[in-house]
Amino acid sequence: MSDLVAKLKGIVGDEYVVTADMSQYLRGKEQPAAVVFPGSTEEVSGIVKAANDANVKVNVGGKVVETKGLSGGIAIVMSRMNQIEEIDHENLTCWVQAGMNHQELIEKLAAENLYFAPEPYAVSTSSIGGCFGIGDVDTKTFNYLPTRTFILAYESVLPTGDIYKVGTKCIKCVSGYDMIHFIVGTRATLGIITRVLVKLLPMPKAFRAVIADIPSLQAAAVAFKAIQKRKIFPSRMNAVSKALGNDVMDAKGALVLVDIESYPVSAAQYAKEIEAELRIAGATFTKVVEDKAEYDEVVAKWLKIREKISLEENKVKFTVGPAKVGTALANLTGIVGNLEENPCVLVEGLNGKITVFSKNADADAVAINKMAMGLGGNVSGLLGSQLRCKAYNDNEMLEEISRVLNSIRSQFDPKGIMAPGIKL
Amino acid sequence: MLSHSAIDKLKSICGEKDVITSKIGMYAYGYDGTMLWGVPEGIVMPESTQEVVDVVNLCREQGITIVPRGAGTNESGGSVPVDGCIIMNFSRMKKILEVDIENYVAIVEPGVVNWDIQEMLAKYGYYYPPDPASWKASTMGGNLGECSGGPKCFKYGVTRDFIYGLEVVLPSGKVIWVGGKDFSSEPMYDMTRIFVGSEGTLGFITKIAIRIQPVPAAKKTMLAIYNTPEDGSQSVADIVAAGIIPTTLEMMDNLIINTTEDFVHAGNPRDAGALLILEVDGHPGDMDEQVKTIGEIVKKANAREFKVATSADEVDKIWLARRVAFGSVARVRPNYGVNDITVPRSKFPQAIAGIEKVKKEFGVTIGTVAHAGDGNLHPLILFDQRDKEEVETVHAAEKELCKMAIALEGTVSGEHGIGLLKKPLMIQEYGPATMDVFKKIKRAFDPQSQFNPGKLLDL
Repeated sequence: MSDLVAKLKGIVGDEYVVTADMSQYLRGKEQPAAVVFPGSTEEVSGIVKAANDANVKVNVGGKVVETKGLSGGIAIVMSRMNQIEEIDHENLTCWVQAGMNHQELIEKLAAENLYFAPEPYAVSTSSIGGCFGIGDVDTKTFNYLPTRTFILAYESVLPTGDIYKVGTKCIKCVSGYDMIHFIVGTRATLGIITRVLVKLLPMPKAFRAVIADIPSLQAAAVAFKAIQKRKIFPSRMNAVSKALGNDVMDAKGALVLVDIESYPVSAAQYAKEIEAELRIAGATFTKVVEDKAEYDEVVAKWLKIREKISLEENKVKFTVGPAKVGTALANLTGIVGNLEENPCVLVEGLNGKITVFSKNADADAVAINKMAMGLGGNVSGLLGSQLRCKAYNDNEMLEEISRVLNSIRSQFDPKGIMAPGIKL
Repeated sequence: MLSHSAIDKLKSICGEKDVITSKIGMYAYGYDGTMLWGVPEGIVMPESTQEVVDVVNLCREQGITIVPRGAGTNESGGSVPVDGCIIMNFSRMKKILEVDIENYVAIVEPGVVNWDIQEMLAKYGYYYPPDPASWKASTMGGNLGECSGGPKCFKYGVTRDFIYGLEVVLPSGKVIWVGGKDFSSEPMYDMTRIFVGSEGTLGFITKIAIRIQPVPAAKKTMLAIYNTPEDGSQSVADIVAAGIIPTTLEMMDNLIINTTEDFVHAGNPRDAGALLILEVDGHPGDMDEQVKTIGEIVKKANAREFKVATSADEVDKIWLARRVAFGSVARVRPNYGVNDITVPRSKFPQAIAGIEKVKKEFGVTIGTVAHAGDGNLHPLILFDQRDKEEVETVHAAEKELCKMAIALEGTVSGEHGIGLLKKPLMIQEYGPATMDVFKKIKRAFDPQSQFNPGKLLDL
């Protein structure tokens, strides 16, 4: 092992290899042999090649690395690769290193009157590499599309240590397989993204937020449906249970957070109509936030709530479609109990998606998936895909999806060294 | 040549009349929108996922390769038969299975024509944004295979951005569902995205969940006329810099203005260097501000004329020339080759200059239509395919256009795909390391190259 550490020090320099007091960089019980802080793509490549030679596992993180299955392996922290390399106003693109903090990137771009739409997964720690590694479908997806649509190109180190680059500044490209978007959400199983070319948008001309204290999540769902019937599609249209809402204001019931990014005329009119619908649905308090500084404060509070939800391990996420959120909420009570008292419920009105805390997440996911499938939806992600196959008693499909996923993974990572905690 | 027993088995799967093996019957399936040509061993037209599975299993057992085909409108040779293959024509799988307006989703079969979906959705005040020029004929399966674009891409995105989920028959003969009726249902890896644009080389799509959306409440259509294409491209850059993302920014050059005038008399000035069709959409109250800003920008970029349509008739008149652009060039020469080069928006003027250079160096006639906001140019090289020498010159000129796009840090294809036509250029665009990554994907799905062999890349 000392050979490996010496090799790593030779690649990145002594000061960028930590072998004692590693806990601040790690999440999980298992201990890697070293935490390494590379400063370039070439250094990442060197580290991965060293891991291959020593036959040890590797995982990566922006500030913190998950250690499941990483005993004796290498934890790569990307925080040194935290620079914006280029902002291209003409093409609305930005080359950024993977270790750059996601929120910091948003703020630096905003200072240049540019907009990067994806929300940070966990605002205090998320890196831009993590943003695309996780590839979230966030609460702004309805208008801005999922996170993956904001990557135009990247440089990556394969699990073998080889470097490749794909993509251009063109917003349209159908040359070759769509690795640009496929890499998003692969959680480092197919390699380590080191630099990313992200797509930007012009800064919206006007911002408004509408916040409301509403008696129940069910009442919020009624308002959300009515707002969409008016053909109003805000940037976010979320409701959270009282426990989460208290981080924004001292609410008596559930908290509704709607925000609008648009032009001045429509923003003002939409805010008025949204407020009216929330009142009709029973909101006891509503406020339209017009001041930009106050608006930013509301969004910052929302991002803290989002971080809390993202880091909650005992949760189930599912989608039923925007029109069926009310029915799903009613049915959900029968599975997880009173939602208003639940510490973590998020209702995404536009995505038709619900996230709920459950003490018995694995068991409840089965019941929730059954209920969601009855409404034309399902539990999200890999778990949802597995549960759907099981619900249809379709083992053949389950096995085939698993075979294909693992076949792709083994093509990229023949020795199986990357992201050992991820099982497909 | 297919054996009699293989033909009999195919007929027992798809039905007697939906298997074609006669030379004359197969003639219509030998080509696509390019000049490439091939002869298949047979044509099968399945009507259900099960029939697709049965044909795939039979072909795998007998070592027969399969080339999928929709309407055959593609521009890269993707649906052209290769030696020893059969064509799987999806035109019988054309049902719209589900339309769920309130949840913004529809499920369709791959043989449904894009336009038919638009017509059906229009009844509800909804639409499906990807609108390739071929939309009145091209099928959804084909649109997904090539990840088609269209004029609205600049604001709304391309085909891949509107696909929630897919049912796919794999080369193993197994059926999988990837994604669902939303963007959160992928089994961790975004399998939907890897199938979209894969030109039928990884799996055959048999059901498609698409995202639909309401027609915007308001739209403004504008026309700007310039003395030079450079002035037009300056307008494009300035509009984006002003924070406006139009739905459409379509450009036509002088040659196309003239061929369309000859054809439909749209009323555009024949001496203009370029015209730009611009559209913005959204809330009615936001239209005036955007139109005013665009008007100021185009005037500053020396537009000699700027019109805002005030009626549906005027909108149609503005679009008339663009709609007939490709067909109109037949008045000049009997054939044209469509190119699909794409460059970063800032390099659009250099791409226009590059096209001029190719015109002079190769002595070819080129008219250019462009989705200017995307940096996606369609230089149409006009020629007569009966003149073999001229055909060779056209091929050389096309290669040069692609090299120019790569040199400008662009791509050889923005929306038409690679197929057979641009496959030799892939290595120049990507280099060996990235090509090897593409091969890993193909090997994971189809190690025997049973599905659309030789397209996009060679293993």
